[in-house]
Amino acid sequence: MHDLIQKLTALPWDQSPQWLFLIPAGLMLLAAAAAVALRNLIHSALCLTLSFIALGVLFIALGAEFVGFVQLLVYVGAVAMLIIFAILLTPASEVSASNNPFRSFKLSRAVNAVAGGAVVALVLAGLFTAIFFSPRVRAAVPSPNAAAPVALIGENLLTHTLLPLQGTAILLTAALIGAALLAKEEKES
Amino acid sequence: MNLENLPLAILKAILDAFTWCGAKAGIVVPPWALTLVSILIVIVAILSVFLVMFALMSVLERKILGRMQNRYGPNRVGPWGLFQPVADGIKMLTKEDLVPRSADQIVHFLAPIAMVIPALMLPAILPYGRGMVPVELASGILYFFALGAGTEVAVFMAGWSSNNKYSILGAMRAIAQMISYELPLVMSAVIAALVAGTLSPNGIVMAQAGVSFGVVPNWFVFTPWGFAACILFYIGALAESNRSPFDLPEGESELVAGHLTEYSGFKYAIFFMAEYIGMFAINGLLVTLFLGGYQAPFPFLEWIPSWCWFFAKLAFVAFSMVWVRATMPRFRIDQMMQFAWKFMLPMSFVALIAAAAWHYAGRGLAAWGISFLIVAVPYLLLGRFCFTRRHTVDNRRYLFSE
Amino acid sequence: MNFPGSGLIKGMWVTLVNGVGSFFDPQRSKRLITEQYPEERPKLAEASRSFPFLIFDNDPEAGIRCTSCKICEKECPPQCIFIEQDKDANGKLFRRPKVFNIDISVCMSCQICVEVCPFESIRMDNIYEMSSYDRFGSLVVTKAQLLKSNEYYHGIHPTEAATTDARIEAARIKKAAAAKVTAEKAAAAKAAAAAKAAEEKAVSEKAEPPQPEQTA
Repeated sequence: MHDLIQKLTALPWDQSPQWLFLIPAGLMLLAAAAAVALRNLIHSALCLTLSFIALGVLFIALGAEFVGFVQLLVYVGAVAMLIIFAILLTPASEVSASNNPFRSFKLSRAVNAVAGGAVVALVLAGLFTAIFFSPRVRAAVPSPNAAAPVALIGENLLTHTLLPLQGTAILLTAALIGAALLAKEEKES
Repeated sequence: MNLENLPLAILKAILDAFTWCGAKAGIVVPPWALTLVSILIVIVAILSVFLVMFALMSVLERKILGRMQNRYGPNRVGPWGLFQPVADGIKMLTKEDLVPRSADQIVHFLAPIAMVIPALMLPAILPYGRGMVPVELASGILYFFALGAGTEVAVFMAGWSSNNKYSILGAMRAIAQMISYELPLVMSAVIAALVAGTLSPNGIVMAQAGVSFGVVPNWFVFTPWGFAACILFYIGALAESNRSPFDLPEGESELVAGHLTEYSGFKYAIFFMAEYIGMFAINGLLVTLFLGGYQAPFPFLEWIPSWCWFFAKLAFVAFSMVWVRATMPRFRIDQMMQFAWKFMLPMSFVALIAAAAWHYAGRGLAAWGISFLIVAVPYLLLGRFCFTRRHTVDNRRYLFSE
Repeated sequence: MNFPGSGLIKGMWVTLVNGVGSFFDPQRSKRLITEQYPEERPKLAEASRSFPFLIFDNDPEAGIRCTSCKICEKECPPQCIFIEQDKDANGKLFRRPKVFNIDISVCMSCQICVEVCPFESIRMDNIYEMSSYDRFGSLVVTKAQLLKSNEYYHGIHPTEAATTDARIEAARIKKAAAAKVTAEKAAAAKAAAAAKAAEEKAVSEKAEPPQPEQTA
């Protein structure tokens, strides 16, 4: 089984040791599962944050430093905060449900769990085949300029992908204006 | 053996001794073991330097504040009161660790840990001397701010898990402050990285080498845009480490202690330590980005070792933070927000434009003049007209009087 | 030159000059106002008070002013005074306290016991360093610890002690004068009674002529 996984996952430039991938990946999966399973909303938001951190660590472990740090900066610093603030501002967080995992066994719940698990397995299998057997991923080669990936990304952003960059800028500006408008109080006249 | 290479020589001596011991015991030490030992020694060295600096800072800050306020600081424990951190440490360790019963126990326990881990990881990328960078990262500046984001989550965890309305209010204000000031902070750092052409701290220090016009060192702080960016970075650093005048989240008269209300004993000491070590790390980054890092200002001063220069500049920046604390009163939360979004963010963009103008005008005297104008005019206009909106209050509702 | 931020710079300059100057100031002790506590004690105002004490004149045994009238014990709001009257050799109650305890962990320094004492015997002390390692035992002060001389009282509260002494002196003079008047009245009454007795004797002698002269 291990050989199979190794054969399937060995990509041409994958030089890092197995444990460097497995530990953050395992942590991420565990945190994501906890985020879904926990009753307390804030706890699940914090577990989601942990999974973001693990994903950032994974990016760094795979050599994509820039993406990893930006993941930490943006997802953990901003998106996770946003999720937590949204949870705090809605009344749902005040409901404290019981955290007892040993609830009474019901057949319908068991069937639901099995069906959900089957769907998840199908989706994951589809993703797996799509990623690892796609010709584009197989044919890609490591960047010759691995020492300066940030400069390359910047160059790419401002030359090849300039239009999406400007579109993103307009989108963010619109979001900022919208947020300010929503937060502004109506003046009673 | 000259003074400049002293730390590296010590490291090499320890590694040689390690190999020699291994040889005496008959084992050939594998290279990974040597790397591991060297990494461990570097970690221990940095942490011990920062912890000693933290201890000294906590007492020197009180003494300097005292002198500026016409009183002595602590002067009972040890010569000139310098053993006060020992007394403080004993007090913190022996205090009862109270956790409220209705607090979320796990999150309450994890919050100080989540706060101190990013703080301790911050000093890893700073260049302390020539060739003395613990971790040579190509995108070191980004690493720094990514870890700062981790601190915000810890503050929220601390405030929310205490199950106390002052804590959650303090945590919200602290997070709002940190996020708002992170933007000018990152923009200023980006300006320095832009002019230097690299995100690596060592590269940025190297870009500030030499002397221009014969008398002015090439440090970024001596250029108009660099001066503006340095001041913005400094203010952002004050806000990120929750120091006065931005210490509303932990001012005693405001919110008890904000998100730290329900922490006592060792956990409070951990928060305190995380705040100070974060402050030293961000001061180190300020020194690296704008004050020339470990470089001497003039070539004839090069005989002082580079790591001495780094720590001297760091000490100066830390002293200036204490000085600011002694001088300025605390911001109110709305003043803080307005200052960040209405003044500092536009100024950081202005500094960016000034830096670009300086670069494209050839980095000479004319470029200096142009970028000075680009910085000074918006600064004067913003400073004069930014906050002078007359607040007209009408329909005031008096609830308890006629 | 008044640009935005100039106020901040001026303020920082003032603080720096003040801070650095405090190291070189020849009048450092006046400028740095910290009172170095165990070496320098605070100067207390004259009327400052902490806990009560008992006064004696000249002799701790015989000169004790307290007569154990127990008024202060009754009037004390938190009831921290405990008095037991002395018995002399024959078992008869004697006007002096055998036991006089004040629990200073309860005493609230209200000074009511001082105000109601008819014999000027209990006054407020100003010693505040009475902390102990024991929560209960050593915070009950006994008669021996409470007795302090009148000279000590003059030392800590001079004006009050002078007024008290004047009052005691005036009371003594008045008592002496009253005693003198009573003595004079008694003497006068005695003289009057003696005169009256002599007069009555003379009258009775005149009423009855002497009989022995007529028989021959």
